[in-house]
Amino acid sequence: MKPMTKENAIDIDKSVDINNEMTNPQVSSLQIPAEEVKIKAEDVRVRYGEKEALFGINLDIPQSKVTSFIGPSGCGKSTFLRCLNRMNDTIDGCSVTGNIHMDGVDILSKQVDTVLLRAKIGMVFQKPNPFPKSIYDNVAYGPRLHGLGNSKSDMDEIVETSLEKVGLLKEVKDRLLEPGTGLSGGQQQRLCIARAIAVDPEILLMDEPCSALDPIATAKIEELIDELRGSYTIVIVTHSMQQAARVSQQTAFFHLGNLVEYGETEQIFTSPQDERTKGYITGRFG
Amino acid sequence: MQTTIFTFTVLLLAFIGYYMGRSRAVATVSGDVRKLHSLPRHYGYFVALWCGVPALVLCVLWMLFEPYIVNTLVLSGVPNIDPDASSAVIARILSDVKFLAANGVGRGADDPVMVAAAEHYTHLKTVGTASLAVAIIAFSILGLVIGSRRVGADLKARNQVEGLIRWVLLASSVIAILTTIGIVGSLLFEAIRFFGKVPFTDFLFGLEWSPQIALRKDQVASQGSFGAVPIFAGTMLISFIALCVAVPVGLLSAIYMSEYATPKVRAIGKPMLEILAGIPTVVYGFFAALVVAPTIRGFGEAWGLDVSSESALAAGLVMGIMIIPFVSSLSDDVIRAVPQALRDGSYALGGTKSETVTQVILPAALPGIVGGVMLAASRAIGETMIVVMAAGLTANLTANPLQAVTTATVQMVTLLVGDQEFDSPKTLAAFALGLVLFCVTLCLNVVALRVVAKYREKYD
Repeated sequence: MKPMTKENAIDIDKSVDINNEMTNPQVSSLQIPAEEVKIKAEDVRVRYGEKEALFGINLDIPQSKVTSFIGPSGCGKSTFLRCLNRMNDTIDGCSVTGNIHMDGVDILSKQVDTVLLRAKIGMVFQKPNPFPKSIYDNVAYGPRLHGLGNSKSDMDEIVETSLEKVGLLKEVKDRLLEPGTGLSGGQQQRLCIARAIAVDPEILLMDEPCSALDPIATAKIEELIDELRGSYTIVIVTHSMQQAARVSQQTAFFHLGNLVEYGETEQIFTSPQDERTKGYITGRFG
Repeated sequence: MQTTIFTFTVLLLAFIGYYMGRSRAVATVSGDVRKLHSLPRHYGYFVALWCGVPALVLCVLWMLFEPYIVNTLVLSGVPNIDPDASSAVIARILSDVKFLAANGVGRGADDPVMVAAAEHYTHLKTVGTASLAVAIIAFSILGLVIGSRRVGADLKARNQVEGLIRWVLLASSVIAILTTIGIVGSLLFEAIRFFGKVPFTDFLFGLEWSPQIALRKDQVASQGSFGAVPIFAGTMLISFIALCVAVPVGLLSAIYMSEYATPKVRAIGKPMLEILAGIPTVVYGFFAALVVAPTIRGFGEAWGLDVSSESALAAGLVMGIMIIPFVSSLSDDVIRAVPQALRDGSYALGGTKSETVTQVILPAALPGIVGGVMLAASRAIGETMIVVMAAGLTANLTANPLQAVTTATVQMVTLLVGDQEFDSPKTLAAFALGLVLFCVTLCLNVVALRVVAKYREKYD
C-alpha cells in the first residue's frame, strides 16, 4: 500500500492575503435546512503521520444535489472526500479526527462497519479502474459482495439497470462477457459509475472523474451526473472550474488544508467573498 | 610465468601509448582541444588499443595453435610410428616425450629416439617462447608507432574506440552463447551414442531401470535395463510433493507480506523468508536425511504404516521448503504490481481485505503467480543435493510417497561417480537422462517466462 503524499501544496501568490492556517475563518453563505443535510462534517482533521493535511473542516452537504470541491493540488479536497467513505483507513499512518454525521450516524466512529458504510457510499476514482474481469462481473462485483441479486435473473436485472442508468447498456449489450478493460476510457469510467450504483448507494463520491478523459467523454459523464442527481447525493472533486460551474449546485473551495469558502455555485463563481477564492477562480494562482 | 611478463610488458606499452596518443593529439592542435574531432582521451585509447589488441590476438592464437604445431614437429622426429596407430597410442608417446623432457627420467629414457624427441621438444619450446616474446613486443611497438602516426585533428578516434567496444561486447556474448551450445551439443552427442546402444523407445518407455552391465565377458551379471519411466515418475512424485508444500505456503505468505503485514513486519519478515533461498542445498539435504526422514518414519510406525527410511515424502517436504522463497518472492512482486486503483475500487464497493485479495488481486496476478510456480517447479525437478542425500537409489515405480523412489539427478550422480569408462551404456545413460531433464526444465522455463512476460504487458 503506497502512502499518499500531500507535499505538493502550491505556494499561494504573495499578493493574496493568507490568514493563519490553523484558524479557519470560513465564509459560508449557505443555509441548508436541517432536514436536507445528508452529511454534516464538524472539525474534521486529517494527518498523514507527522504531516497535517486538513485543519478542521466544517461542512454540510445537502441531499440529492451535486456538491463540488475545488482548489489547487494538495489542498486537501480529495483527502476530505476520502474521509466520507473512510477510504483513508486503507492508508498507513493516516488519522482522522472530528465528526462526520451521515443521517445522524457518526461514520468516523469505530463501531461503524466500513463494509456497510461503503455499500451506502459509492466512489468513482480519478483514473477508470475496472477490474480485469468481464463487464458483467465488474457491475455484479458489488452486489455479490453484499448478497444482493441472489438469483441469476435478479443479478441480470441489477447489471442491466445499472448499465442502462449510465447509458452504457446499448453500447455493450452484445459483449457483456468481454473484459471491462477493453472498453474506451470514457466507457470504462461509466462502467465504474455503473459498478458503484449497482449496490444502490445513497451517496456517490467522485474524485476528479473526468481528469483522464477526452472532452466528449467528459461531456457524457457530466450529463450523467446531471441525470443521477435526483436519485443520489453527489460529491465531486474537480480541477476544472468550468466543470464545477456546470454540474454542481454547491461549491466548496479548499486551500492548504482549509475550507476557505462554501456557497451556492453561482455565488462562488460570480461574487466570491474571500480574496483567496477570488484569486483562484480568476486564475491568479493554482 | 612468461605469460605474466608478456602481459605486463604489453600493458605497460599500452599505457605509454595512451599518454603518447593523448599528448600527440593535443600537440597537433597546439593545445586547443576544441579543434580535435574527439576528446584527447579518445586518441589515448586509440593508440593504446593499437598497441595492445594485435599483441593480445597474437598471444591468443599462439596459445591455441602452439601445442598442435609443437606436437606435430616432435612426432615427425619420431621415425618408427605406425602410420595407422590410434590417437590413444600417439597421445601416449607424446605424454612420454613431455614427461621425459620435464624430468629427464621415465619410460623411454633408454631409447635414443625418445631421448632425441624429448630434446627436440625442449628445444622447440624454448625457441617458441623466445620468438613469441619477440613477436609480441614487436607487434606492440609496431602498433604503438602506427597508432600514434595516425593521430591527428581529423582522426575520428571516438568512433573507432566506440566501434571496438561493440566488438568486445559482442565477443563476450558469443563466448556465453557458444558455451551453452557446446554443453547442449555434448549432452546431445553423448545421448545419441547412448541411443545407439539402447533403443530410444526402450529408454523413454521402459518400466525397469537397473543399469548393471557386465564389465568382463565371463562376469555373472544382467545385461542391464534402461527404462527411464520409474526415474521420471520418481522425479515427478518428489517435485509434486515439493510443490504441494511450496505453492500454498509461498503464496499465502506472499499475500500476507504484500497485503496484510505492516511495513515494519514486512521489512523483517521478507528478508527472513529470502534467507531460505540462501541456505546451501546440501544443508537441506542432511536436514532431510537426518531429521525429517526419521521423524516421518517414526510417525508412520506410530500409525502402523510401513515407511521407508528414504521416503519420497521426506525429500519432497524439504525440497518444498527450499523452493518456498521462489514462489513467495515472485508472487509478492506480481501481487504488489497489481495497481492500487484496483484495490481501492474493491474497498470502495465495500469489499473486505480477503474478498479483495481472492476476487480482484489474485485473478489479476494469476499469470505472474503461475509463472513463478513454474520456475519453482523447474528448480525442483533439477534439484540434486537434497534427493541425493534423502531420496533412495532403487528405481521404484510407485505413487506411494512413503516408499523410496529415485530421481533423474540421483541416478546421474550414481552413474558418474567413481571410476567409470565413458563408452558403456551405464555411463552414457546419465547423458540421456540429462538431456531429457534439460528438455523438461527448458520447456517449463520458456513457458513460465512467456506467461510472466504476457502478464507484464497488462499494466504498462
